[in-house]
Amino acid sequence: MRHFSEVCAQMRRRNQKQYALLAGCCFFSVLLITAYVCMMRAPTVLNVLPEGGDSRKQVMMIFALAVLGCAVFTTYASGLFLRQKSRETGVFLALGASRAQVRGELYRELGVLSLGSCAAGAVLGGPLAWVLWQVFRLCVVDTEEMRLIFDPSAYLLALAFSVFVIITMFILGSRSIKRANIIDIIQESHKSESIRDVPRWYGPAGIALLVLGIFLGYMAPGFFIGVLHWYSPDWVDAIFYFPALAGLYMILLHTVVNGWNGKKKLYHDLIATSQMRFQGRQTVRNMLVMTLLIAGAYFGSFYTPMIGTGSMMGYDALPVDYAYHFRADQDIPLEEEVRAMAEEYGVTITDFAAVPMIRLTVDGNDLVEEDGPFGTVWHREYREVLASQLFLSASGYEALTGERAEVAPGEVRGVVDVEGSKLGFDPDASLVTNYITEKRLPVTSLEPLRFDSLFERYVMNDEDFAALGEGLPAQWRETQVCFNVENCEETYAFAKALFNEIVDRSSIGVALFDAWDPVVRDWYVEKDGVYFLDRECAAGMGFPVIDYSQRDSSSFRLVWQYMPRFRVLDKTDFVKTMAVFLILFVFIAVVCFAAVFVIAYTRCMTIALTSRKVYDDLRRLGASNAYLRRSIQKQVKRVFLVPAVVGTSLIYAFYVLILYFNGIPAGIVPSEAAGLRAALGVIAAVSALIYAVYRLTFVQVRRTLGVR
Amino acid sequence: MLRVENLRKSYQVGKNSYEVLKGVSLQVGRGEFVAVMGPSGSGKTTLLNCISCYIPADAGSIRLGKTELARLDEDALAEVRNRKLGFVFQDFLLLDGLTVRQNILLPAIIGGLVSDTTEQRADQLCEVFGIAAIRDKYPAEISGGEKQRTAVARALINSPLLILADEPTGNLDSKSSRAVIRSFEQAKNALEATIFMVTHDSYAASFCDRVVILRDGVVWRTLEKGATDREDFQDQLLDAIREMGRGEKEEG
Repeated sequence: MRHFSEVCAQMRRRNQKQYALLAGCCFFSVLLITAYVCMMRAPTVLNVLPEGGDSRKQVMMIFALAVLGCAVFTTYASGLFLRQKSRETGVFLALGASRAQVRGELYRELGVLSLGSCAAGAVLGGPLAWVLWQVFRLCVVDTEEMRLIFDPSAYLLALAFSVFVIITMFILGSRSIKRANIIDIIQESHKSESIRDVPRWYGPAGIALLVLGIFLGYMAPGFFIGVLHWYSPDWVDAIFYFPALAGLYMILLHTVVNGWNGKKKLYHDLIATSQMRFQGRQTVRNMLVMTLLIAGAYFGSFYTPMIGTGSMMGYDALPVDYAYHFRADQDIPLEEEVRAMAEEYGVTITDFAAVPMIRLTVDGNDLVEEDGPFGTVWHREYREVLASQLFLSASGYEALTGERAEVAPGEVRGVVDVEGSKLGFDPDASLVTNYITEKRLPVTSLEPLRFDSLFERYVMNDEDFAALGEGLPAQWRETQVCFNVENCEETYAFAKALFNEIVDRSSIGVALFDAWDPVVRDWYVEKDGVYFLDRECAAGMGFPVIDYSQRDSSSFRLVWQYMPRFRVLDKTDFVKTMAVFLILFVFIAVVCFAAVFVIAYTRCMTIALTSRKVYDDLRRLGASNAYLRRSIQKQVKRVFLVPAVVGTSLIYAFYVLILYFNGIPAGIVPSEAAGLRAALGVIAAVSALIYAVYRLTFVQVRRTLGVR
Repeated sequence: MLRVENLRKSYQVGKNSYEVLKGVSLQVGRGEFVAVMGPSGSGKTTLLNCISCYIPADAGSIRLGKTELARLDEDALAEVRNRKLGFVFQDFLLLDGLTVRQNILLPAIIGGLVSDTTEQRADQLCEVFGIAAIRDKYPAEISGGEKQRTAVARALINSPLLILADEPTGNLDSKSSRAVIRSFEQAKNALEATIFMVTHDSYAASFCDRVVILRDGVVWRTLEKGATDREDFQDQLLDAIREMGRGEKEEG
């Protein structure tokens, strides 16, 4: 061995575990981010996540968390690698190697290591996303729209993350050599990262700040919109979450430095607490990232049970088995044809009702938005003709539901769902108008009726119905059909056939987005010249275009204005309809939990590597195996337990908060309560997984420290 | 050979500044074996680290031969460390991934000076210091004394002007300490090495030609061995240390 590079090569061989750990961390983080980006930017996924919609925002938010987590963890891994390497670097410098000589070797190593691992992660990220997607299609559900198509531009984001990883490594590497004091470089690996004393009130104060931050963060946008009539920018809303972040940091700091056992157990936990304190800054930082990732992962995980349970309960609660409506100018099957079809499929229809509906306009307050110096503000503007609604006569309502609707002339009643939720529909019209003849009727809105299958309809007196309906053309008249069958759960084939028949016989004129409204359309066309929900504009504005050939896709079934509500069809096809959402959120959860496990494992193994001498000394001082085991367990447990408990409680509380305040009126309805119970089931399953990884890590750490 | 004049160094701890060296001046001649002693906190190791240019001094001058070290740039300093200085550390600082022989050759490898002659010299040094039998072993496989003798051989591989040793016997038992001190004597006698050693150990210091005693960051006293017997010289050192202790007590 005659050359410096040969010495470095031999040192690399000797310390290959350190190199493997860093390469593994970089590879893993780039792999996860690439897979996530590929999935997130895939046209397949983007098609079902409306632009500006909550789902897309959630996906982006969790992506930002995953990027933050992976960035922190690769930076940490790089720092750890350089710390372990610092003794060797210091010795080279002490024995007369020039900084340029050492830097050259280090850059070469970091270059090969970072480029290799990032390239491998980026190359395999796409296939990983594809394999996971295929496994889901194979094992859970497969629909035509689930054919995964990648957008090559997704790789740009993966490339940006890889560049960040590589640059970070080089900056840290350069800094590690730059220091003037060679003794500092040599002793770097022995140096502790202890943090200053933390007062004991940090724990309770942290919890208080956390709760306050979540509350303020969640309520602030509502306050700005509702009270100040101001659409606050996202960054302003985000500021209100800061107390939560500060609180979280204080909780973790208190946990690492003081622990929650109080002074009584000070000596009992002395080694574990002191050891953690010596790794203080990094431990707290890692635990913070883990907590946020766990919260993000659960946010993704809860999507499935929340939607699933709520929807299933909703289907079960539907008061009629089959309900559909259609415009009077459409040739859609009615009783005779439906019964014939039912007979063909061996289905017995127990009752059948088809009643007319008319489309009238209602008055109300429009929200008029204006751009002000601080962003968009709004004010209410009363309009006598605000939008159109479908109206049933009282007798028609009774024929459909079997329930009497007491409505006197000049009175109307809106129909809300069985849980009384008025979300998106506020039935308080005071003026009803025939849009064609301009005949008007001032009305009083009474207490709403509750009937799921007729949500968002109005019911009016029979005489008023007849009088106001006069002169309405077929496009403003509809028919509502409701019927029940025997053994509904076994009538899927019939339901599917009827659904196909309805779609096949619907003209292109009714291929409308569910929020499409002829009255609103006229208003927009007069004002702007175009209506954003018209077929020709919808795609350009990020709304799905209704395509009858895509009748099994989620975008069709969720937003077609005339989508029938057949209990057996909805229930059976639910997973298929929601498949893209489900897999996306399951995937996000998998990515985030995987990152959490890797960070926790790496952190614990670092504790093991840096504590070896301490445990040797403790053994010499006569510490029993049980004592050493307990002290290791306390440290490993803290790394896993605290982020798990804090992250889980945080997100669960946040979910409850969202559900509570999202309801109109505020509260948690039974389907949401069921969703929350299902989310508890997910927590139980994931907690069991976290426990398993914790046990595995505990065994590995003990093995590294030679403790039985 | 080495001339230190009015050397000053302070450390910043938080908002407080602690002056560790308050104007140290001393000289070491060619072929001399000089020790620096003093109580903890007197500035011994800081003095050594400043001479090695491991840490920058605040003021004063360090001349090695005709070279003023403070005026050198990074690369020139690295060359001085590599060619003109040899180092022996309390915790050896051998690289675990290299064998004893490779560790000895490391300064030559770093300097790009390895030739057949250098390799022969490494083997000679192994013979001189009694580590020939373990030259292909790794540091984890040898004793503390053997590690330190390896470090001494490493310090001599480039035939430096001066060997700087920081508590070389600090981590060793008495038998290993004796072996290491004998290595220094051999280096001085057989290889004409100049040695500047920081130590707490009066036994190790008693082998030196001269002992500089530091107290509170200044040279308190210098004792010359001259023709004195080693054991008597050790007694003189112990007396001086006792006297310094009494002085501190009275001042206290």
